Order: sequence, then C-alpha cells, then structure tokens
Amino acid sequence: MKASPTDVLTGIYYIDGDVAAGYGALAAGCKLVAGYPITPSTEAFEAMCRMGPQVGTVFIQMEDEFGSISAVLGAVWSGVKSMTITSGPGYSLMMESIGFGAMLETPFVLLNIQRGGPSTGVPTKTGQADMMQSRWGSHGDYELIAISPDSPQEMFDYTIKAFNLAEKYRCPVMIMSDECVGHMTEKVVIPEADKIEIEPRRFYKGPPEKYLPFSPDPDLVPKIAKAGDGLGLYITGRVHDERGYPVKNEEFKAKYVRRLVDKIRLNKDKIIELKEESTDDADVVVVSYGISSRVAVKGVEIARQKGIKVGALRLVTVWPFPDEKIIDLAKKVKAFVVPEINYGQIVFDVARCCHGQANVVLIPHGGAGVHNPLDISDAIESAAKEDKKIEGVVEFKTRLEKIVFERGLKFKE
Amino acid sequence: MNSIISAFSKGIEKSGIDRKKISMPSDVPFNPDVVKALGVDYFQIPRGRAIAFGTGLKLGNPSLKVVPVAGDLMTLGGNHFVHGARRNMELLIICVNSFVYKKIAGKPIPSTQSAFSPYSTFEEPFNFPHLGNSCGAIYTARWTALHTEELADSVAEALHKHGLSVIEVLAPGPNYYTDIDSIELELLKFYHENSTIKNNEDPKNVAIVPDEKIIVGKFTDKERPTFIDSYNVQHSKILGDKFTPHGGKNG
Amino acid sequence: MAEIRFAGYGGQGIIRSGIIVGRAASIYDDKFSTMSQSFGPEARGGACSSQLVVSESKVLYPYLTAAGILVAMSQAGYDKFEPELSEKGLLLYDEDLVKPKASRGNITPFAIPATRFAEQLGKKIVANVVILGFFTAITKVVTYESMKKAIPDSVPEKAIDLNLKAFERGYNFGLEVLKKQKEPQ
Repeated sequence: MKASPTDVLTGIYYIDGDVAAGYGALAAGCKLVAGYPITPSTEAFEAMCRMGPQVGTVFIQMEDEFGSISAVLGAVWSGVKSMTITSGPGYSLMMESIGFGAMLETPFVLLNIQRGGPSTGVPTKTGQADMMQSRWGSHGDYELIAISPDSPQEMFDYTIKAFNLAEKYRCPVMIMSDECVGHMTEKVVIPEADKIEIEPRRFYKGPPEKYLPFSPDPDLVPKIAKAGDGLGLYITGRVHDERGYPVKNEEFKAKYVRRLVDKIRLNKDKIIELKEESTDDADVVVVSYGISSRVAVKGVEIARQKGIKVGALRLVTVWPFPDEKIIDLAKKVKAFVVPEINYGQIVFDVARCCHGQANVVLIPHGGAGVHNPLDISDAIESAAKEDKKIEGVVEFKTRLEKIVFERGLKFKE
Repeated sequence: MNSIISAFSKGIEKSGIDRKKISMPSDVPFNPDVVKALGVDYFQIPRGRAIAFGTGLKLGNPSLKVVPVAGDLMTLGGNHFVHGARRNMELLIICVNSFVYKKIAGKPIPSTQSAFSPYSTFEEPFNFPHLGNSCGAIYTARWTALHTEELADSVAEALHKHGLSVIEVLAPGPNYYTDIDSIELELLKFYHENSTIKNNEDPKNVAIVPDEKIIVGKFTDKERPTFIDSYNVQHSKILGDKFTPHGGKNG
Repeated sequence: MAEIRFAGYGGQGIIRSGIIVGRAASIYDDKFSTMSQSFGPEARGGACSSQLVVSESKVLYPYLTAAGILVAMSQAGYDKFEPELSEKGLLLYDEDLVKPKASRGNITPFAIPATRFAEQLGKKIVANVVILGFFTAITKVVTYESMKKAIPDSVPEKAIDLNLKAFERGYNFGLEVLKKQKEPQ
C-alpha cells in the first residue's frame, strides 16, 4: 500500500532528527500522537503539533507518560495508527504499558530520544544507555523490535519502517535514537507519497461470530480488530487464549507466551536490517548502532589508513539481536570492537554470541558526548595486535577516561 | 458487582445506544460471560489507566461511546481523572468505590474486615463527586449497589452527555475483602439503613463521613465544550481551510 | 571541510545563522552539512552557540574537532570559544560587541560593525544576517547565490527584503575588506 499524499509533506528540508521523525510518523499515517514533552524529544512533539492538525493527525498533551502511552494503546484499538515520543525518565514511566502493549499484540511506535542517564542525568546531551531497558524494561517475557537511526534522513525513513514493522508483527516498535541525532540538523528529502510503502493493518475481515482475536496466521501473527465493529472484543493483559479470555494453567501460559516471543524470534530474518561492510577478510569488526556507528566509520577509516583489516557491522535493528551474524563472524575474526555511549550493554550480547571465539572490546562512553574517532581507531589497532584470547569483555581506556583517572578519580584498591 | 453490571446493562438499554459502539476500558476484571451479556467491547487494562486508555479510544474514533470502569481510579489513576475532567474528554466514568479508605465509623463494611486493614482504616477518603465537579466534570452522581434502578437511569442519562461524566458506585471489590460471600446481603441491608437520596445536592456536601448517612443521588448536570469541540474551534480559527475538524459534531 | 562555530547570546539569531548557512551548503550548494546547537538555559538568553560542519562528503563526526572559523557576536561567546579556534583559523566578529585579545598563531581576524549596520537598516535583529553576508564574502564556505536562496527559506515572509538587504550590506563590506587586504599597505 502507498502512503496517502495528504499525509506526506513532500519536499527538501533542512531539519533536525526530531522533526524528521515527526514528519516520518505523519507520512506513515499516524493519526494520534499522545505525549508529554521532555527534553530532548520535544522538537518531535512540536513538529507534530504544528503539522498534525493540517494533515488530520490529532495531538494531545497528556498529563503524564503513563497517560501518553495508555492513550496511544487506546487509539490503536480504536483503529488508527498512533505513537508516543519520550526520553529519559519518561521512558521509564512507560515501561508498564509497553509490556501491556506487547501482551495485547498492539502495533504502536515509541520514539525514544535517548539522553544522558541515569535519572534526570544530562537532559540536553546524548546517551545510548536505554538499550537494555528497551529490551527488558517491562516485566515478563515478551519480544519487541528496536531500531536505531543515525541521521535526520534516517529518522524520517526508519520512523516509517517502524510503523510498518509494528503493523506487520503486531508488536511495539521502539525507535532508539539519541539526542545527538535528534538535535542534529541536516538535509532531509521527503519523497512523493507514491514512493513510500506503507504496511496496512492486518484487520480481520471474516464473519464476526468466527473472530478469534488471538488466533495466529501461519506467520504466528493474529489478525487485529477495532472497537465498535460489533465483534464483542474481550481484550486483557492477563494471559489469554485465542478468544482473549483469561487462562491460568501452565499449558496455556506456555502456548501463549511462547507465541508472543516466537512471532518475533522466528521472523527474525525478515525483521533484522544490518549494514555490513568489508567483514569478509576482516581481523577486527566494529559492531555499533545509532550515532556511534556513524562516528565509528571515521575511526574505521583511520585504522584502515594504518593498514589494519577492519570491517563494520551496523545494527540498524538492535532488537531482535542478530545472534547468527555474530556467531558466524566470531569464527572468522580476531576481535569485535563495540563503541557505545554507555558502560556496556549491547557489548554483552556480542560477547554472548562469541562463545569465547573472538575477543570482545568495549569502548565505553559515559554520555553527554559522542566517541572520539581516534579512540575507536586506537581500540581497533590494539585489538588487531592482540594475539591472546582474553576471557570476558575487555574495556578500552579512552582518552576521556584517562583524563578522568589521571585527575585522581579512582577506585580504592 | 453483579448488581451493578445488570444496572449498567439496563442503563444501556434505556439509553437506546447501540451496544456495539460502547467500549469499556476497565481495571476491574470482568468475567468474559458478563462482557458477552453486556455486548460491549471490553479492555482489561493495567490498574488506574482506564481513563487514559479511554481517551485514546475516543480520540481515535470519536463515534465510540467510551465508558472507563475504574477501581483504582483515585490512587493510580488520580491524575488521569483530574485531567480528563479538566479537558472534558467525553467519557462516562464508572468509579467503583470499594471502601479501602476510612468510611463508616472506622469499619470498612459491616461485619467484614478489609484484608488490607485488619486493624481498621484511618485514612481520609476522597469525595469523588466533589473532586470531579470541581475539576470540570459535567455530570456527577453517586449510587450504591442497592440503588440499581437509579443507577440504570443515571447511566442512560450520562451516556448522552457530551463531556466527562462520573458516576460513583459504592460496592465491595472482591479483592479487598476476606469474606465476600457473607457480605452481599448484609451490605444491601446496611446501604438501605445508612443512605439517603439527595438529588441536586452540592457535591461539596456529599463527603462520606463516619456515623452520618451516605448521601446518594444525581448531584450535578451541566454543559461545557468537550476537548474535541475546543480542539476543533481553536484549530479552525487559526488554520481555517487547512484544518478539517476532527470527528464531526459527535466529539 | 569547514568547521564553523557561531557564538553569541540568545535572541541574536545564532542558531538560525547555523541553519541558514547549513541549508545554503547542503540544499543549494550540493554539499553535506550538519548543524548542532547548544541547548538548555544557555539557549534561552545566555551564551548561545551553534556548530556547523560543511563537507564535500557525508559528515561522519557531527561536532567540531577543531574550529576553522569562529563567528563571534558577543564577548562571552568569544571568550568561551576562542580557545577552540585552530591556529590557522578565521575569526569574524562584531567590532562593537567583541574586543578580541591579542591574536595567537596565524589566526586572521575580520571585524565588522554588524549591529551598527543592522541599526542603520532599521532593525538590530538582522545583525546576524549582516555578519552572514560578511561570512560569505570572507570565507567562501558557501556561495553568494545559495545564501540568497537560503535566507528567504528561513525568515518570515514580510522580513525577506530587509534580511536580503542586510546580507548584501555585510557581503559588500566583506568584499571591501578583502580588497583592502590585498592592496599593499
């Protein structure tokens, strides 16, 4: 299905990542935005407030983040596409209903412009420390999809993709961007509507009396319905059977929750998008996502000038995690280098898939800035020289960390 | 709880509204058979979020009649209630007050004990109709599980209101009480002896006070633009033809 | 590649300056440009800055590594960002608002009474556009033609004429300054 021309603000813009994501959501056909403004995601909300009413998208500033995400879920069950936008503390508040949304197999999009944490952290500066929270933040077993764009243009493109994936797999999709990309202004090209592919909602179209809201299609994803169609919906966050009725026994619990995770795990190949470059004969592969992957390219270039065989693997979709890809590469390479703006999150998944076959180096960053490309090239260089197998994750001491430690901020021996 | 549901069903019948168009987001668990009998769309949602979820349903499809049923309304969902009333979102809120807070002479319910207050309760409760009214709700009423006819009438009436209506229903919630079976009959007797109907009473006078009769009735009924009305007026004024009003008149 | 810092105080159009030059470079000059701005209390009245990277290829590192050009519109902005200016950098400043220190390294200073020119044109607020004209003439990071297209995109319709006039004023002043520089003293 093509995008509706009335939703697409075709043109060439010079806008920041937040605004681009907002325009992407409009192009994808998002008809309700509910949010509570929080730095540094505010510009996305502002863009939708300004343009939304002109393209038939309703915005509402809710009383809090609980309300925002609940209203989004309500809107989806009323039959429209919906998203919310948040950051930092607001993201934490939304966790309860992210699990609820996953349990109800509700297709919705959440844009998280990550900022420096924990707690209030550094509201106006960047971070990538919500990555594990996006995967495990809500209680219980569930799977979802997370995408990490690296430029305003990608914010536009991948917001549309996020909506498409949400509809296709009936699950929450997180756009795990960050302040750097959100507040970065670049050229963004918004194409004509007929160049934009939109995934239609998987509405049930059969006879009402035969509808089973949680009876899956062969791809494990059930057809969805909307309120007001006379289907007598019974939708609950309790573990339920195909009718949606609550069940308590072990067998049903296993059956339902199994499918909830399997619909993502078994469709992984179709969901995951990676950008892989020169990994074939690489000694070292840099695994990164979002803004770090963009900065990493510069580090990779510097390392190559020094004659090091280095490849790059960019996780465009971070969740589900590309286990097989890492397992495969681990057999061939000497080491993985993982720069991320946190003290180790995705790096542990890389290590998990390595099975000790390759060294894993973390380039940490405490947030409020991005990596120095020289740190990345240095880490690549030292990883390429290391012939010993080292157990666990090795932490690379960046220039910044060295300065901090030289000033005497060290742990007691 | 069952008496409330049958009163609610009767209210829908009386209102003449198509049951298929009614959505009930609720944090009170309903049995699927009950929902089937009601003929509505039912969403059991996390505690306290019924009004916020309902706000999304209504904004997504303004032709729906949305009836959030709230048990944990004034605790987890307090903020949603206050702001829902302020913006006058068109919702009919059925607030099931299950006496977790101090009510009647220190005893939650006659001859029962609350599982969470074995030594009786001491906290002051909210006066829901007053709170709702002062935040901007356009219709407020309170009934008990005994007043099923009056409750049905209020439901029928409030379903046609454009704005946020709140009906408080005094009833025990099964989760809070140790001995639910024995209380039903005694409770009705208690409500009969200890309540008095005062329609049009100023909501500020209807707080539930120990040793005084519980005041029930339809307290307020007024008109005020809904959220969607105001949304449309404001954007039409500024954007003119660039703006298509949302949801037509039904908002 | 050019790395540019615009510095001033909130309300001077510092961030808009970054946007105009960035837009001119990436949309009309067909280059790549990335603009990042300072946020928080400093953007609401205090010291305020934006950084712009203009490049022939995709900008990978979004922030400045060594500022090649500093455009200073306030003393505080100058004081804060002068140290990051590279030794071969260009310093452009409003001579009525900034008193520069003794020049270091091979930094070339260029002064313009931008706010005074703006006042002569009728509105102090266009001082940033005057300095953009000056910037265009001196640095040649963006072309004159592209700037003439980018300015109308970024200002309210009724202010376009005034802004273009301001731009011309700064641009012509810049050309004069360059001409004088070439003449033997």
